[in-house]
Amino acid sequence: MNRKTYASILAFTLMAIVFLTGCSSSSAPPVVGITATSPAATATVTTAYGAFTATVTLDGIANILSPQPAVTFTAPSTGASCTFANGTNTETDTAVSGVATSSVCTANYVPGAFTVSVTTLPAAVASISLTNGGGVYAFSLSGTEIVNGGPNSYALAGSVVIDAAGDLVPNGLSATANVAGEQDYNDAFGFTSTQPGGDIVAPEALALVLTNGQGTLTLTSGNASGLFPNGNATETLGVQFVNNNHALITQFDGTATSSGTMDLVSLPSVPNGSFAFTLSGVDANAYAPIVLGGVFTLSSGGLTAGEYDQNDAGTISPPGGILFPVPPVTVPPTAPIVTASAPDAFGRGTITGTGFVDNGANPYAAALNYYAVGPEALRLIDVDVADSGSGSAFGQGTNATAGAIASLGAPCAGNPSQSCGVFGLISNNFGFLYAAAGYFDITDTVGGAFEGVGDNDEEGSVVGGATPPVISGTVNFPGVDGYGSMVITSGNFQDVETLGVYLTDPTLNLNDPNNTTSGLGGAVVAELDALQGTGVVAQQTATATTAFTGNYAFGSQDFFCNICEFDFVGQGAVTNLSFGTTATGLLNDPVGLFGSGNQQYPGVTFMAAPLPDFYESTTGRYSLFTTNATPNPFVVTVPVPASNPPATTSIPFNVVVYQASGTQLFWVDEDNFSLALGSIEQQGDLSLVPAAKRARAPAKTAAKAKQK
Amino acid sequence: MKRLSSGLCVLALLLAVSLLAPVQTAANDKKPLSYDVSKEVTLNGTVSSVLEKPAQGMIMGSHLLLSTSSGPVDASLASFGLRGKGAAPVASGQQIEVTGIMKTIKDKQVFLVRTVKVGDEVYTIRNEHGVPVSPHGRERASRKTAGEGL
Repeated sequence: MNRKTYASILAFTLMAIVFLTGCSSSSAPPVVGITATSPAATATVTTAYGAFTATVTLDGIANILSPQPAVTFTAPSTGASCTFANGTNTETDTAVSGVATSSVCTANYVPGAFTVSVTTLPAAVASISLTNGGGVYAFSLSGTEIVNGGPNSYALAGSVVIDAAGDLVPNGLSATANVAGEQDYNDAFGFTSTQPGGDIVAPEALALVLTNGQGTLTLTSGNASGLFPNGNATETLGVQFVNNNHALITQFDGTATSSGTMDLVSLPSVPNGSFAFTLSGVDANAYAPIVLGGVFTLSSGGLTAGEYDQNDAGTISPPGGILFPVPPVTVPPTAPIVTASAPDAFGRGTITGTGFVDNGANPYAAALNYYAVGPEALRLIDVDVADSGSGSAFGQGTNATAGAIASLGAPCAGNPSQSCGVFGLISNNFGFLYAAAGYFDITDTVGGAFEGVGDNDEEGSVVGGATPPVISGTVNFPGVDGYGSMVITSGNFQDVETLGVYLTDPTLNLNDPNNTTSGLGGAVVAELDALQGTGVVAQQTATATTAFTGNYAFGSQDFFCNICEFDFVGQGAVTNLSFGTTATGLLNDPVGLFGSGNQQYPGVTFMAAPLPDFYESTTGRYSLFTTNATPNPFVVTVPVPASNPPATTSIPFNVVVYQASGTQLFWVDEDNFSLALGSIEQQGDLSLVPAAKRARAPAKTAAKAKQK
Repeated sequence: MKRLSSGLCVLALLLAVSLLAPVQTAANDKKPLSYDVSKEVTLNGTVSSVLEKPAQGMIMGSHLLLSTSSGPVDASLASFGLRGKGAAPVASGQQIEVTGIMKTIKDKQVFLVRTVKVGDEVYTIRNEHGVPVSPHGRERASRKTAGEGL
């Protein structure tokens, strides 16, 4: 080749580079460009944005490229995102005449802003900014039904799609059109949702009405009958949001009262891995109180390992529990066989078991439905017609294979080699009524010896008060699968003596399963002695009184008289260990403790200024007692209904608080006439709560108010 | 741990001191709701009062105040004893027979009733573990007795 040939090749190459990179020697527009648009900038989770459009241009002119370029739309692979028709977060389409159109992209379950990247070659990039609004929320409640010849024991669980305005909207991913929610209701006394479909919740405008994260959620049946199994067209829940992902709830109508939680659903998937669980309800044999707890491992929808304990009206399974069989199972089965189905678009699926045995030695099958909050949190509800119950199953994480005594608590503040935690227990409503809470310190993390203090109210017989009993005993985990027990041997905690303890994932907050930053670790607990109840253990990480400050949401389930119950949720700001006058909420009093008949009270005020015990820095215990030197009972004041003035508007309660951390506390009512267990949870961001835009700003702390 | 140990020791001391104080009544039962069927006794008495809801100082649930040969007895019928289908039809002035165990709860003696015999009829209030039997349970038991099954 001569010099002229080389020069020609060089010139051609330089021209090609200029063309391909879009550079030019002048300030002219880029050679290749791309723009992209979406029909909508926002969509409620699970609903469609529509098809995206991308226009590819050369020197600002469309429709001159040949061959037709490919355009790739890519949504985020995790977090808030959308899914194309191919079931993934990315899709490549051809730009015909310079225009590429994607398939419909449907918002996933995660609320929040995200960007869809749109690219083509030669290199050009555009983006579409989108926001998933609202959320899919799973709820679960249990308590006392008033209708249907009540009191009856009942449970209610479901899942609904709520848009950013608070409307119940159809789930765009559901196989059934125009369905905003699904639920299961069961009182085991004639009101059981028909299976396998359960109940349908209809779309409804402004179903969630909130002020400062507090308000009501109205569920309307879309069933052919127009009624829920309880014979009502609507159910009303009282709602108190703790943060964008989590709320404390109570049924808030005159038909029933109960307590529970509502949590944002994230990407439901087939339950897989190891879980710890508890269930509490009434049995089929005699409508008697029954609790179960244990651990199990699911793989591909089948149960591969596990063991459980059962306390059926005082008949307790043998120490060591009952083993679930590992397939292949001999026939006939000698232990329950359990299978789980994949969840539907609401996160609802089934867990069925056969081969259980009740306290009458009768074999029975168990039909449970689950509502997935996420891969590590399932709300469980028994949907058998003859028995009722509810509970949760939580992922075990590393505690499925390395569960140990020390895993039950967190390193104690005073001695990190020891393990400290807080527990709370409450009966179901058809057995002995009791509520207990306490603090423990596992002083020997090898042998399991622990000591602590506790409060326990058994039908008005109280241990606690000014000098709570010093309890002691042993924690034991015979294996590494997180299945164990806590036995109180000090003989001073009334009938609370033997607890089945089932370790959960140390990275999981049991009150708020979407919370990955605080209140992590612990266990679920089932009572395995004369009493029938369930509860939780939370690791204790901070006992400083200064940590108990800021905005808090709270709730409580209170039993009194003969299977009587009231429930409340609320919120307030704690400053200098006092809610001051900031605490307000909703209280459901269908039996009429406040003397005004079946009432649902909004605008209830709560006075609480917890007094730290002398040893609070160790135990995390506070008291609100009429008998304190300066009486400081927890005072609940209801507004006066115009139609039926109550006998009393204010009732003082003797309450004890146990602080696991500044974000998570438990409280127990220990009165002669009533008993209760509830939680106090520090509030977080509420800006993405559905209907938040219609609400005022969150309550200011007194400190902030002072600054103003 | 030192802090905890010293704290708990003081708490224990306080508890011991409180135990040394004059006691008006018998010591409370350490396990108020536990039920040992081997300790059951049967009492005959006349119903002096029917309390559907507990009076102050009583444990929760309904109660009968009985006049017996050994004195007045507070008989606890738990949450469901006087409630719902199959409840014991007890009225003041009736002569009844109750089977159960005596406990000291909240500084008072209370008789936890497992069965009540009114006339020739026996009504089950609690099961053999002392757990209250609900109207639903009574109804299911009667259906089983009638051969209906579940």
